[in-house]
Amino acid sequence: MSILAYNGGCVVAMRGKDCVAIATDHRFGVQAQTISTDFKKVFHIAPRMFLGLTGLQTDILTVRDRLMFRKNLYETRENREMAPKPFSAMLSSFLYEHRFGPYFIEPVVAGLDPKTLKPFVCNMDLIGCPNEPDDFVVAGTCAEQLYGMCETLWKPDLQPDQLFEVIAQSMMNAFDRDAMSGWGATVYIIEKDKITERSLKTRMD
Amino acid sequence: MSNLGIEQFPDYQVPGVSHADFSPYESNGGSIVAIAGEDFVVIAADTRLSSGYNIHTRKQSKLFPLSNQTVLASTGCWCDTLSLTGLMKLRMQNYEHTHLKTMTTDAVAQMLSIIMYNRRFFPYYVSNILAGIDKDGKGVVFSYDPIGHCERATYRAGGTAGALLQPVLDNQIGYKNMNLHGEDAPEVTKERAVAVASDTFISAAERDIYTGDSVLINIITKDGIETQELQLRQD
Amino acid sequence: METLLGIKGPDFVMLAADTTHARSIIVMKEDQNKIHKASDNLLISTTGESGDTEQFTEFISKNIALYKMRNGYDLSPRAAAHFTRKNLADYLRSRTPYQVFMFVAGYDETDGAELAFIDYLANAKSLNHAGHGYGAMFCSSIYDRYWHPNITQDEAYDIFKKCIVEIQKRLVVNLKNFNVSVVDKNGVRNLEPISAQSLTDYNASS
Repeated sequence: MSILAYNGGCVVAMRGKDCVAIATDHRFGVQAQTISTDFKKVFHIAPRMFLGLTGLQTDILTVRDRLMFRKNLYETRENREMAPKPFSAMLSSFLYEHRFGPYFIEPVVAGLDPKTLKPFVCNMDLIGCPNEPDDFVVAGTCAEQLYGMCETLWKPDLQPDQLFEVIAQSMMNAFDRDAMSGWGATVYIIEKDKITERSLKTRMD
Repeated sequence: MSNLGIEQFPDYQVPGVSHADFSPYESNGGSIVAIAGEDFVVIAADTRLSSGYNIHTRKQSKLFPLSNQTVLASTGCWCDTLSLTGLMKLRMQNYEHTHLKTMTTDAVAQMLSIIMYNRRFFPYYVSNILAGIDKDGKGVVFSYDPIGHCERATYRAGGTAGALLQPVLDNQIGYKNMNLHGEDAPEVTKERAVAVASDTFISAAERDIYTGDSVLINIITKDGIETQELQLRQD
Repeated sequence: METLLGIKGPDFVMLAADTTHARSIIVMKEDQNKIHKASDNLLISTTGESGDTEQFTEFISKNIALYKMRNGYDLSPRAAAHFTRKNLADYLRSRTPYQVFMFVAGYDETDGAELAFIDYLANAKSLNHAGHGYGAMFCSSIYDRYWHPNITQDEAYDIFKKCIVEIQKRLVVNLKNFNVSVVDKNGVRNLEPISAQSLTDYNASS
């Protein structure tokens, strides 16, 4: 079995009208055994930016810590907030530094640009090949199911409350068809003046 | 191994000796969806037939009408699909001549399972969904794995985009995660079944390179089979 | 083969570890303690590749002791778990990875109790109850049934008894004896070991 599917889990991010949403499941497992049901794979890294990491849990923790370090260093040096775009570029080059011994993760970045407030979503493969679409990005063991759901439910210019409904339904119905993901979920909606965090009650099997 | 009639080749490369592997399977792609209602069943399949990055044809139907009450949709290894459906048609004709009646959908479903399990150790590499009207006049869907496990369902997706389509059906037809506060899930109408099936294919064609060109939709009722076609992405 | 168990309560963490040291099919030793006292408020239980367990636990313990000498105060259990994980993660991508599975358990006046699950890949997670090894597969359901947020030390000890009864009944490997230690506001204590003998009159359903 792939190392990327050792612990299971999934993350999805979507763009809306002047807002973005990112969602994570809560499962942490070792192959088929569920160890914990409160492991969130999305991290708040700047006032209007979240980073989601799926894949091998050890690398999720390592990459999160190392990226936080690099981001803080950047912000100290430049004395300004890091925007999602340069953050993704930094993440991409960080992953490519380990081209021949990669971190086994698939990252997702979601946020609003601190200056222009333009919505931004981005994902990458484990060696940092970036993808910056204008609709949605998915990652994790149920990526296929997520693509199917997002592709049918998503449409341009969704309002924050509609976006929540779309991302929540996409997430839940996708991971209900995957044994390695699920066991609860959390959705974050990022708007220019507020961030809403909502826990989803889901099937626990 | 030589006692089994298999030549002994070393595990490593030896100059002058080449070992040709025979791979009897190929995936020719394609997706199928079936949705059953109270007195009808909708079954749909795309029409692209491909192999790797090549498209063999853009208009190959993967729906096989076995009787005027039963349709089989089959994808996977196209040559296996042809052998299997050929055998199915043969066996059904035989049944008709012996018993002077058409096989019911339930009987076809059972026979398909047995025919596939007969090849337990060299299976037909196919993803099958059988749809029809059962002996009580209700719409029914049967889905299979490649070695003949049969499961009766009300909706099912299969083929290369099966993983993309199934959760959409769970949500839109099965009303999963919808919190219908005490209300019963609304019964699926023929129009809604066709609309959802069409929408899932439009979505699948966006992401699955093996699904596209067009969708053939068969609507089976007690009066027979009605056919519709919908254009999809051609790239 | 070897088994580690851990339960976190509101103000304590209890660890259990079998005492068998086996090499291939031979039991070399039946009284090996796998729960190490890393500091006044910290326990580390370790299993895995036999040399690695000793070496790595010692390395972590001594560094934690060094930290205390340098700074005059102890590393918090959360920080100790993070330090352990980071070292294991760094070694994982070196030429000499350590193959160890461990629990870092501690009690801190400000942060409270902490039980950290760490496996050989340096997957790490703070948990309420956990297990390592084949024996742990029989325990998750027992934890789910009997653990609750206000669990007492007596209850936790009883859950271990239930787990060990099950392990000795269902696991082909013979794990006779389990050491039990607890860490709370009074520091580290060793409790009465749980063995096949001590469980002869135990009724798991009572």
